[in-house]
Amino acid sequence: MSLLELQQATIRFGGLVAVNAVSFALNEGDLFGLIGPNGAGKTTCFNMITGVYEPTSGKIIFQGKDISGTPPSKIAKLGISRTFQNIRLFNSLSVLENVVVGGFLRHRTGLMSALAYLSGSIAETALLKEKALELLEELDLLEVANVRSADLPYGRQRRLEIARAMATQPKLLLLDEPAAGMNPQEKQELQDMVRKIRDNHGMTVLLIEHDMRFVMGLCERIVVLDHGEEIAQGPPETIRKDPKVIAAYLGQAV
Amino acid sequence: MKFWTTRIVSFIIGIGGCFVIDLLSHRFVGSYEQRLVVLAGLYVTLAVSLNLINGITGQFSIGHAAFYQIGAYTAGYVSRTYITMGGHNPPAIPWLLGMMVLGAIAASIAGFVVGLPSLRLRGDYLAIVTLGFGEIIRILVQNTDALGGSYALDKIPKIQPIWLVWLLAIVCIAVCRNLIKTARGLTFLAVREDEVASSAMGVDVTSVKVTAFIIGSAFAGAAGALLAHYEGLITPTTFTMDVSFIILTMVVLGGTGSITGSAVAAIFLSYLPEYLRGLKTSAGEPLVVSGAAVIAGLAAVVVGVAFIKRILDSGRGTPRSRALKYLGIAVGVVILEPIISFALHPIKPLSSMSIEAGQLRMVIFAATLIVLMLLRPEGVFAHHEFSWSWVRKLFGKRPVPQAEVAA
Ligand SMILES: Nc1ncnc2c1ncn2[C@@H]1O[C@H](COP(=O)(O)OP(=O)(O)O)[C@@H](O)[C@H]1O
Ligand SMILES: [Mg+2]
Repeated sequence: MSLLELQQATIRFGGLVAVNAVSFALNEGDLFGLIGPNGAGKTTCFNMITGVYEPTSGKIIFQGKDISGTPPSKIAKLGISRTFQNIRLFNSLSVLENVVVGGFLRHRTGLMSALAYLSGSIAETALLKEKALELLEELDLLEVANVRSADLPYGRQRRLEIARAMATQPKLLLLDEPAAGMNPQEKQELQDMVRKIRDNHGMTVLLIEHDMRFVMGLCERIVVLDHGEEIAQGPPETIRKDPKVIAAYLGQAV
Repeated sequence: MKFWTTRIVSFIIGIGGCFVIDLLSHRFVGSYEQRLVVLAGLYVTLAVSLNLINGITGQFSIGHAAFYQIGAYTAGYVSRTYITMGGHNPPAIPWLLGMMVLGAIAASIAGFVVGLPSLRLRGDYLAIVTLGFGEIIRILVQNTDALGGSYALDKIPKIQPIWLVWLLAIVCIAVCRNLIKTARGLTFLAVREDEVASSAMGVDVTSVKVTAFIIGSAFAGAAGALLAHYEGLITPTTFTMDVSFIILTMVVLGGTGSITGSAVAAIFLSYLPEYLRGLKTSAGEPLVVSGAAVIAGLAAVVVGVAFIKRILDSGRGTPRSRALKYLGIAVGVVILEPIISFALHPIKPLSSMSIEAGQLRMVIFAATLIVLMLLRPEGVFAHHEFSWSWVRKLFGKRPVPQAEVAA
């Protein structure tokens, strides 16, 4: 059984069909790429998977259950987490606090415990901070743990978004253009990081990326969208040679 | 162990402090000043509880007086019916505690109802709904004869423990502080920062917002119950839009989101108009000023603010040289005032008009706010909180700046 499966997923915004009957399936442990020119409908796919939008028609199956139309916070609890193309950190919170918010999803103590500052709540907070620090270390953000997240440089903000998403302990991690705005060295490091996340945490990764070298070098399978339509699917070698893909990217080196 | 020691000690200091305030205000000041001490305590509760909704959770609610009123009228009505009319005589403090709980429950039900639109409305729209709700409650009360209509709900038994007023304020501060110290509290701040990202991280945005409204309005309701029993009579005019705006001003002035800021601003702003009301000359007469002096004063302040703003914006200079410049500007303003006043003197209507300074209090109040917001738009405390390490930093050695680590 596949972990996530889109079945003929379609969404309309007024007259615009942003995503049209797209189907693909991810198996557990996949490193899957979602590519396509600007406005192809990639981010919209993420928004459907994470419950921001409900598909007009079609199904989104996660672990055997149709999750289309489930609210975002419930989907996060089911085990899907994401980053955002236009970074959405909790700006005035510190780097560490951002990650703690992600981890809170798996909390157990109640509201009263927090209001009265009981030991359960304190211990939980301490534990979440500890776990957050581990994640920050893994993503090489430990030294900025107490910096306001808005004050971080761009590349680090993107990595912080990944750390925050990982803190929710997802089975499936969606990364929306994680390498955007990074320099070549940072991109190289990110590739290694994503691979490690998959290998060490057993998270399945679905990522959107514009940088072809990045995607081709990292992903094992790729699906290509253009104008909301799915135009190709397969391993990087076949995608690279696919005439439809080359046409969509209009002669850009693929 | 250290944890429990700290908690028990702060608990004792908190309660002890309330009784000290109580003792001092009974021993040393008249009933007028006592009332100010009570109002300051109630305003601290109101501002800190609104800060939970507005500053911490980011829901722009501006009708806080409505929850205050609901608490006051619910508790006042029940007390009056049971004690004054019914002739019962329960022990005062436990009864008052019960009434506070009742007021809190009534207000939090209203908070829940007002919180619901916050799930769909944002920013200005929510502000309008909450403000409208406040007015509806006030007008409803005004037209309900059983609640005294537009006159007053009177004959509420007077129970006036000043310590309890301040204990409520301290509990309110403690609850908010506890919350933001825990991971759960961070999710409230997360909702303020970005709702979309919060929900993607599994934060139940709906429940966070409604919780903030319920807790915030509950404290306002409890404060209302105390007010009703302190005054013995309450009127709808005690809960007009102005009161809502003053509470909101306290939150904004203190630094939206800062509990410390809200509390300090509440004390300052509840006291300032009263202080201005009592302005006297050294001979003890009410201070009278001419129209020219007032206009000159405003003009001098505007000039002073403009200069200070330039220095702030340029961001240059060592702390000492900047402090000297501020001092220079302050002196300049003081000198400028009589000069402009003298220049305006030939204008007859201005020089012959005499105004009691006490009557100018709302003008001075407003001018103070404008000046503060111009110079420090993020609020006096911005998002900082009082903490002992902060005090140590203020008086001790400077720590290594964090920014270098961040680069
Ligand atoms: N909420 C929305 N309302 C209307 N149109 C939208 C909305 N979200 C996305 N679209 C449109 O859907 C198309 C696909 O957008 P998107 O998924 O963001 O593209 P990309 O592949 O670059 O991520 C674009 O034409 C965009 O304008
Ligand atoms: Mg996109």
